[in-house]
Amino acid sequence: MGKGFTVWFTGLSGSGKTAISKFVEKEILKQGREVEVLDGDVVRTHISKGLGFSKEDRDAHISRLGWLASRFSHYGVPVITAAISPYKDIRNNCRQMITSAGGIMVEVYCECDLDTLIKRDVKGLYKKAIAGEIKNFTGVSDPYEAPDNPEVVCDTAKETVEESAQKVIDKLYELGCLKKEGETEEPYSEAEKKEIDKRLEALGYL
Amino acid sequence: MALFSKKKKKRVVVIGIDGVPYTFIRKHIDSGDFPNFKALLEKGDFRRMNSVMPCISSVAWSSYMTGCNPAKHNIYGFIDRKPNPFDMFIPTSVNMKAPTLWQILSENKLRVVVINVPVTYPPKEVNGVLIADFLATDLRKAVYPQSVFDKLDSIGYRIDVDAWAGRKDKDKFLEDINYTIDKRIETAYWLFESQKWDFFQLHIMSTDRINHFLWEEYEADDPKYAPQFLAFYKKIDSFLGEMEKKVSENSEFIVLSDHGFCSIKKEVFTNYWLEKEGYLKFSKEKRSGLKDMSPETKVYSLIPGRFFVNLKGREQFGSVEPGAEYEKVRDELIEKLPTMTDPETGNKIIRRVYKREEIYSGPHFEQAADIIADPQNGYDLKANLNQDQLALKGSLEGMHTYDDASLYIRSRQIIGDSLWIADLMPTILHLLGVNIPEHVDGKVAV
Repeated sequence: MGKGFTVWFTGLSGSGKTAISKFVEKEILKQGREVEVLDGDVVRTHISKGLGFSKEDRDAHISRLGWLASRFSHYGVPVITAAISPYKDIRNNCRQMITSAGGIMVEVYCECDLDTLIKRDVKGLYKKAIAGEIKNFTGVSDPYEAPDNPEVVCDTAKETVEESAQKVIDKLYELGCLKKEGETEEPYSEAEKKEIDKRLEALGYL
Repeated sequence: MALFSKKKKKRVVVIGIDGVPYTFIRKHIDSGDFPNFKALLEKGDFRRMNSVMPCISSVAWSSYMTGCNPAKHNIYGFIDRKPNPFDMFIPTSVNMKAPTLWQILSENKLRVVVINVPVTYPPKEVNGVLIADFLATDLRKAVYPQSVFDKLDSIGYRIDVDAWAGRKDKDKFLEDINYTIDKRIETAYWLFESQKWDFFQLHIMSTDRINHFLWEEYEADDPKYAPQFLAFYKKIDSFLGEMEKKVSENSEFIVLSDHGFCSIKKEVFTNYWLEKEGYLKFSKEKRSGLKDMSPETKVYSLIPGRFFVNLKGREQFGSVEPGAEYEKVRDELIEKLPTMTDPETGNKIIRRVYKREEIYSGPHFEQAADIIADPQNGYDLKANLNQDQLALKGSLEGMHTYDDASLYIRSRQIIGDSLWIADLMPTILHLLGVNIPEHVDGKVAV
């Protein structure tokens, strides 16, 4: 079993998070691994049901996503989250939860200027937000805090979805989350590794 | 006529006795403790042999099975590091980058039986049977093919002794070690008789274990434990005698160890020294591992005596520029490490310091430590963190030595002036009439 990791997409609505994540999901599946996709909108219909878009509610929603991702990480299952996740602090808390559970957090910032998003407006949400029909809309009437040091930045105003996805996939190989052809998986589960560490410690090798 | 003149096929049997010093065997042959080994000397040649740097079992047996220096097989210790992102890992057969003796023999349609040789876990497919080493936790996952598991289970085969008992309860440890060797010998005889094979190797790890935990009692002639220590070795001697008799005359019988042993005066904590000298820094008060080191770190170390420069572009938080600054740091270490002394006695701790290019060459050179320190006998280099002194006497009693490994070959004269453990692989291929791959560093020693 490989190490758990979470590909955490963040960015404004319509910035390409879901579209890129589908390519990344396909690459992970190609390696014969399971992958759990936690789409922000879908999670809002289940464990975040009833939460709105105030800062408090958004933080609670993202925190739940992070906790779920950390549990999957603990058991070595790759996770993809695709949610706006606008606040830096709560994203950093999620990173802490995931790494403490033994996973790797790969933050992917889907960067796109507002003009392009308004022009794109696939779901018609920006039009409604600008007209005041949707309140607390990130980027229009609610803040978005871009990450300081994301593992990957996808400039989705300029890059194609395939180009952005490739950047994410390359990073997953670079960080050892995915294995190149010929590379073999870690031979130990977490429990076995603990046992071997104990044995090597007794022999003075650790 | 061919029917009558056909010679029986030549086969090779190897018994690995981990960590048994040449000088120790000689001494006890002379004192009459090892009559079977004495009888072997009358039939063959017995020589002192060099190990490999660093002289620990995983590295030495990897050089044995591949005929290569570590930069070709990629195994540098029982623990290693990935520089970026920084992580520690246990090298296993997954990391072995050079073809092993048994892989080559299998490809040449020869059948092999390989029992318990270090760095064979997880087991790879062979033309025969392979039982992996003590880096396996579950016997079911340690065997190839799976069909041998039930028999091993019914024998009560143990992968290794409980080394914690060696530290905490020596009586329990001795009971365990005797049980483990009895079961290993039973397993060896079963496979020897029941399998078809051209190459048969049994590895005995328990010799290394008993040396680690009872070497001082042996040297001090402890009234309780020294006789039990020698009784264990007499059991090994008897087994060698019995096994040798089973190996037909036109086949070859080889016994070797991978390094020598001596008693430990002190365990020495190289990361403590690096911290005191200002090379290693931590961002946290409490350090759970090297992953907590600060980006200001210039050098960190891994057991035993492997020093890594925190090099920019290679390490995750590298601080030392490649080129002139890297060389400056290495030169400083080469100057300072030999001045390290035992705080109590003033004795020098380090015998010699090597730049990696002096001792390694090959495609996996980049995984090597930048500086490798060879300690004086008695100073066991450790890399534990959170130590409050440079050196102390711990519960480990014996440590490895480089130049006191041993090699016995029946019915052949051993040749070569600088015999080392990597010579075995080409020697065995030669004895079995198999071509030696060009990349191999060792030389045929018969």
